Amino acid sequence: MARELHLDLAIIGSGPAGLAAAVKAKQLGIKDVVVFERDERPGGILPQCIHNGFGLHKFKEELTGPEYANRYIRMAADQQVDIELDTMVLEIDKTRTLTAVSEYGGLRTYKCKSIILAMGCRERPRGAIGIPGTRPAGVFTAGQAQRMVNIEGYMPGEKIVIQGSGDVGMIMARRLTLEGAEISAVAEILPYTSGLIRNEVQCLHDFDIPLLLRHTVMEIHGDKRVEGVTLSEVDSGWNPIAGTEKFIACDTLLLSVGLIPENELSKMAGVVLDPSTGGAYVNEFLETDVPGIFSCGNVLHVNDYVDEVSTEGEIAAWGAQHRIKGKLFGEKNLIAIAGDETIGQIVPQAINGQRPVTFYIRVKRPMEKLTLRIGDVFEKKFAYARPGEMLRVSLPKKVFAEMKPALTRLNVSCEER
Amino acid sequence: MTAAKAATLPQIGDYDVIIIGGGIIGAMVARQLSKFQGRFAVLEKAAFPGCGVSKASLSQIHLPDFCPPGSLKGKLCRDAPARFKKLAVELEVLYREVDELWLALEPEQVGDLEAARARAESHGATGYEIIGPQKIRELEPHVTPEAVAGLYARGLGVIYTPEWNFALIENAVQNGVQLYLQAEVIDIAKTREGIYRLTTRQGTLSSRYVINAAGLYADEIARMAGDGHIHLSLRKGTMLIFDKSASHLVQNMIFGSFSESHSQDIAPTAHGNLILGVHYVKTDKKSDTQVSREGIQETLKLGRQLIPALSEKDVITSFAGILANSNMTRDGDFFIAPSEHAPGVIHVMVGAPGLSAAPAIAEYVVDLLGDAGWRTLEKAGFNPRRRGWPRFATAPPEKKQQMIDTDPKYGHVVCRCEQVTEAEILGSIRRGARTMDAVKHLTRAGMGRCQGGFCAPFVLKHLADELKISPTRVTKNGPGSHQIVKMTKAEADI
Repeated sequence: MARELHLDLAIIGSGPAGLAAAVKAKQLGIKDVVVFERDERPGGILPQCIHNGFGLHKFKEELTGPEYANRYIRMAADQQVDIELDTMVLEIDKTRTLTAVSEYGGLRTYKCKSIILAMGCRERPRGAIGIPGTRPAGVFTAGQAQRMVNIEGYMPGEKIVIQGSGDVGMIMARRLTLEGAEISAVAEILPYTSGLIRNEVQCLHDFDIPLLLRHTVMEIHGDKRVEGVTLSEVDSGWNPIAGTEKFIACDTLLLSVGLIPENELSKMAGVVLDPSTGGAYVNEFLETDVPGIFSCGNVLHVNDYVDEVSTEGEIAAWGAQHRIKGKLFGEKNLIAIAGDETIGQIVPQAINGQRPVTFYIRVKRPMEKLTLRIGDVFEKKFAYARPGEMLRVSLPKKVFAEMKPALTRLNVSCEER
Repeated sequence: MTAAKAATLPQIGDYDVIIIGGGIIGAMVARQLSKFQGRFAVLEKAAFPGCGVSKASLSQIHLPDFCPPGSLKGKLCRDAPARFKKLAVELEVLYREVDELWLALEPEQVGDLEAARARAESHGATGYEIIGPQKIRELEPHVTPEAVAGLYARGLGVIYTPEWNFALIENAVQNGVQLYLQAEVIDIAKTREGIYRLTTRQGTLSSRYVINAAGLYADEIARMAGDGHIHLSLRKGTMLIFDKSASHLVQNMIFGSFSESHSQDIAPTAHGNLILGVHYVKTDKKSDTQVSREGIQETLKLGRQLIPALSEKDVITSFAGILANSNMTRDGDFFIAPSEHAPGVIHVMVGAPGLSAAPAIAEYVVDLLGDAGWRTLEKAGFNPRRRGWPRFATAPPEKKQQMIDTDPKYGHVVCRCEQVTEAEILGSIRRGARTMDAVKHLTRAGMGRCQGGFCAPFVLKHLADELKISPTRVTKNGPGSHQIVKMTKAEADI
């Protein structure tokens, strides 16, 4: 039978969120901290992200993914953080009981004072977007291809079409070009790329990779291995426009059509999820509606920059410390944060209104020269906003001093000037 | 292949009975034959048995309420659930019991329910009950409020066909049957002594009796044997699999209406997902398993008529299978009969519910072999038991620890969505899985919500290591379906 153990803090996932949370938790004086990592190495998805651009905020320099991970791995080692590798958390529940399994440790159960969820996200597969056609070899998600090329040394194909312009897809377009593959096209169903402009410029335009906006793969061809795809232009309702079909011969189709926060464990614990982010509803401590369970990084909402993921890990660690010490948050008097129809997602979804807070916001559609308003207490102007780039809005403490004490709701909206 | 080249192929076997096709019918017949004395072989054209129509089915074990009175299919699937239950114990494979709820959405359809009950009863099935909206709601709270009546029957089943297919073949092989993979039959000739000579891509084999269980290709095999008058008409059916997060929507095997173009059917799978089918279109291409945008939309529509809360967001994969009916029977009945022109050849051409009837079909085929002159002598020492393999995901906690104590690799979860461990993946390869798909069908690694996004590279590496081949030679489902094109560095460098 499983041995039962006790922990102050369990962190699930050793990616940029989990490691930052662990380091911060130790700095804050939390003693028994264990990080559970299902992979054979720490760092989450970072070890396969060998491109640069990480760490500009946190370290004021441009690092690669493995370098960024190594900074935190070293800090974690300095703080004597216990990272359990090759260890899968099978279950957590409302009472913060966690069951994990590994080859060397067997099945173990932990009673935890606090849990930080930092499991990251997974990629949307082919089935989820229902691409018609045959089911040959040679259809991969962009992240899967990234792991193959950068970790395993496998070349997934030589003539490649990429569906979707998520960041990983665009980065892989460049990466596979550098490895000698031909990227015939990156097709995006939206009228704009869904990742960062920076990646559109540096990964596609700089390498003359054709970007086909308002295009989608209508059909996959090939019996054994992919032999080609049919692309079609779509109208504003994403319906294919007859007569615009074109066949492109290729041996591989990569999909970069969205990331989904991986909240299976959160659901087991009864954590309520926000359908707009796919992650938990949280307050400014990033605590979920299950007391003592926190959520940060891409399992909370898909971020653009790793630095912000780590910052969220630190916030969650700070919240966990309060919980472990039994300090009250004043969660009884929360102010709900509600976006209007211009807002795609917003985190946190509730605040206490006593402390400075940073909101992470995505607009629903591209906008120019806009003003973002939070209730009637705060506004900020932006030159532009796109769903692919998260807005970051920090509310200083003095804003709250001006708010009415009985306030229960703050509406967030954007307006073009 | 030219005749000259075929003539140079080596003779690789001499048998009493050869079964063409290692799908669920061929596998069931092989296992049944292995109870008797004799030399038997199964010829499978693919790299792994059961990858044709058998794989692309709903994997449901039905009662004979679809089968016209007096039909052969009704006779053969009368006690299908009981037979499957017994086999599940012997072969240590998954069998999940579910009940049937056949819905009428309009008052006029209530007559269809009565007719279904009458059909079932004509085949000796009992226990059918017509229920009203309130009882329907108790059984299935998410069913459309339009349901006016339902036909309710207990004790049907769902399985995962590829798992059964493999287990049956494994048990047959264990009892002396020879399995040839990638052994497509390209010619059948008959000697003066009445022995059939089968030319395959592996070599030639001879046998006195031949069972044609070639599924969609059974008409071509019949033609090779001299029966050119047999034709198959094909319908392609689209099915969808839903994420387990939608599983609370359906508890029973729910049917709606049936026609040439659809069979409205939504049910839990053996593994706890939901499967929805079937939208049919006519096709004349046997390899046409393409899923169309329209097919997916129409299938979803069928499902939403019964369960309005079904969301396309929860679809994790779609696939198509082909249903074949021969021109030798009426009303889509099974055609299981000796060849008119080639004595000793027995054709087995079955549409739905071929899976349900498969155990009885196997017995029926052995009877036909007896009629054709084969002496059926039971063999001492037939071992009906095949060892399944423990599944970490579904084992109770105390069993999980035991499994890890026996083999620590049960502690290493590789497929996170379905919680498949390294021990299971290695086990599947050591027991005969040679392709990515075979590992997937035997272990479920890659069948969850991320569809192999995380575990596929790991499975690929294990296949290469265990089979001692370059990763570039690992395939999805046989020659030509390689997963990767080359290594980024010369293999000697890494």
